[in-house]
Amino acid sequence: MSEAVVAVDRITKRFAGHTAVDGLSLTVPRGVIYGLLGPNGAGKSTTIRMILNIYAPDSGTVRLFGEDGTGHEHSARIGYLPEERGLYPKMRVLDVLLFLAELKGVDRRAARPKALDWLARLGLSDWRVRKVNELSKGMQQKVQFISTVLHEPDLLVMDEAFSGLDPVNSQVLKDTVLELRARGKTILFSTHIMEQAEKVCDHVCIIARGRKLVDGTLADIKRTHGGRHVLINFDGARGDADRIFADRRQVAKADASGQFAELELAAQGDAQEILRALVTSGARLSRFELAEPSLNKIFIDLVGPEAATPEARPDVEVARA
Amino acid sequence: MRKILAVIRREFVERVRQRWFWVMVLLGPLFFGAIFILPTLLTGKGGVRHIAVVDGTTSTFGARLTERLDRESLFVAVRVPSGAHTVDSLMVAVDRKQIDGFLILTDAAVDSGKATYRASNVSSFVTIGTLERVIGEMVNASRLEREGVNPSLVTRARIRVDLDSKKVSGGKATGESAAQSFSLAYFMGIILYMAILIYGINVMSSVLEEKTTKIVEVLVSSLRPFQLMLGKVIGVGAVSIFQFLIWGVSARFLISQRRHLLGEQGIGEASQVFQVPHVTGATAAVFIAYFLGGFLLYSSMFAAVGAMSSNEQEARQAQQPVTMLLVLSFISMFAMLNDPGSTLSVTLSLIPLSSPIAMPVRWAAGNLPFQEVALSLGILFLSIVGVTWIAARIYRVGILMTGKRPSLKELVRWVRAA
Repeated sequence: MSEAVVAVDRITKRFAGHTAVDGLSLTVPRGVIYGLLGPNGAGKSTTIRMILNIYAPDSGTVRLFGEDGTGHEHSARIGYLPEERGLYPKMRVLDVLLFLAELKGVDRRAARPKALDWLARLGLSDWRVRKVNELSKGMQQKVQFISTVLHEPDLLVMDEAFSGLDPVNSQVLKDTVLELRARGKTILFSTHIMEQAEKVCDHVCIIARGRKLVDGTLADIKRTHGGRHVLINFDGARGDADRIFADRRQVAKADASGQFAELELAAQGDAQEILRALVTSGARLSRFELAEPSLNKIFIDLVGPEAATPEARPDVEVARA
Repeated sequence: MRKILAVIRREFVERVRQRWFWVMVLLGPLFFGAIFILPTLLTGKGGVRHIAVVDGTTSTFGARLTERLDRESLFVAVRVPSGAHTVDSLMVAVDRKQIDGFLILTDAAVDSGKATYRASNVSSFVTIGTLERVIGEMVNASRLEREGVNPSLVTRARIRVDLDSKKVSGGKATGESAAQSFSLAYFMGIILYMAILIYGINVMSSVLEEKTTKIVEVLVSSLRPFQLMLGKVIGVGAVSIFQFLIWGVSARFLISQRRHLLGEQGIGEASQVFQVPHVTGATAAVFIAYFLGGFLLYSSMFAAVGAMSSNEQEARQAQQPVTMLLVLSFISMFAMLNDPGSTLSVTLSLIPLSSPIAMPVRWAAGNLPFQEVALSLGILFLSIVGVTWIAARIYRVGILMTGKRPSLKELVRWVRAA
């Protein structure tokens, strides 16, 4: 279980006069949903492309499934949904799926029943012999999604997974991703929308300007970053509240006004100690709640407003030499 | 390897399924038919010319010439005696298109070979040529007769020489006439040029399609860019060979039925130039070898062009240098036909950019030493390896690039860095 599906070690990628990814390391364990988070232009797509060996890193290494070999050699075990979606507009739906499966090393005859299965499951059976450009955008998204999972990859990589999806497809994608994880598959996806990541991710890695800011399980990150907060409502008597809130060993920051208080705990602070002290001093409480900060708040705290606007990107990554 | 096969298969099947392919298949033979028939139509038939001969001679020369011209299928000639207002009234007749033109004859025609022709259209080579020939013959005969030579002797002395030319190959006459060699060389040149151009551009648009639809990113995550490019080039090449098979059979059929298609009349002079070519196995092999060589050379360049452009417009511009190279080689074909043995011809058939058209044309036009073909093929092969190597590097970087088209300097960097 401890074996990493993706182990990225200090990879760097420079494009004409601009460092897209700078000494980034990350580890994706087996069987998790891993979110690569960052503002636009943080280097998420470049990182993903290096993992897949579409680009070679300038320095550093990428190791997949704990084995040697590049993304191309392992491509049969990887499903990839790039940020820019696209299919052959003039090909028939089923032919596109079979062709893309063939490129993943699946025999056409073996791929056929599976493709039909998936098309039926996503309600596209009637469209299998139609040309791709006769389909609506939402249907094309479904077809493309089928193409990334048709060869039953062990690792599913999705760049800006949910961008451009309508709510129905978004739900289909989320359900399928959760189902794949239940079957022991690993999912790595990038997004800049924190609410989505918070809902589905087990692990996250937050990057900005090509550098890693933090990574770990979502629970760990919430515990160690953005602080722990306590929300208190008094029911009349406040007891010795002001003295207790002023104890810097316990409380880093207090925002108390009348019957309400929000505390940010100090590093060594213990909410239970505070609760006991308040009750002992005679305060009456109607609410005492340990609150988790949202991923969004952590993200903004970490990234800061200036990193949300990336360094001047040479127009759309010109010259990826 | 299986992945390359999948790419080849897709290129082939999708292309052959397209209506465009079958339109080309149908238009191809029509096009070749037109190449056969058009010169005949254009030069052989301009319609019959109605002319008047204004006879100002004091001998019977005018009458005899009129009769002689009238016998030519091209002319309907009427003799008009020379009068004070004859020329003026004939001018009006030409203006009103009652006649096509008129010839003014005086005694000077026989004495100094001078005559005047006035017509609404004097640009037809055939009309003028025939007039000059007939008048020349008659003038010669008249002069000889005047010197006391027997007219029947003159007729016999005028028997035309028919030069029976046969190409010599391997010390034997091949049964292939100069005219046949010429027409074969001519056709091979045209077909090579058209095919390399059309299918090269096919490769380019295929690359561009994958780029503009963004599917290329999924593809290059599954296979290497070089595999993709190779599969594409081979796939399109297979389509072209398939089309050649269809065309070849049709062309054969067309040639065998030519007499029916043209009718007896049209066969005249044009069939002297365009005779049924005799295609030997060696010639076919040379043709196929150079077609494949030329196609590989040019289509990898076209693939690189497609990869470095982000839309049709850009590609159209960027392809121009490549197309120009091809057009130049095509034009050089006429130098080949003129003198297949000249230094220029030999040079052009060795330079890899022009040899795919030049060498087969030279081969068809005249016998060539085997070593020269081998040397030319060797150079071509090495160039394909080199050009493909460079093109693949441009392709590899280009297919994932968006934004403005790279400058020449950037291209050089791509080739170095990739």
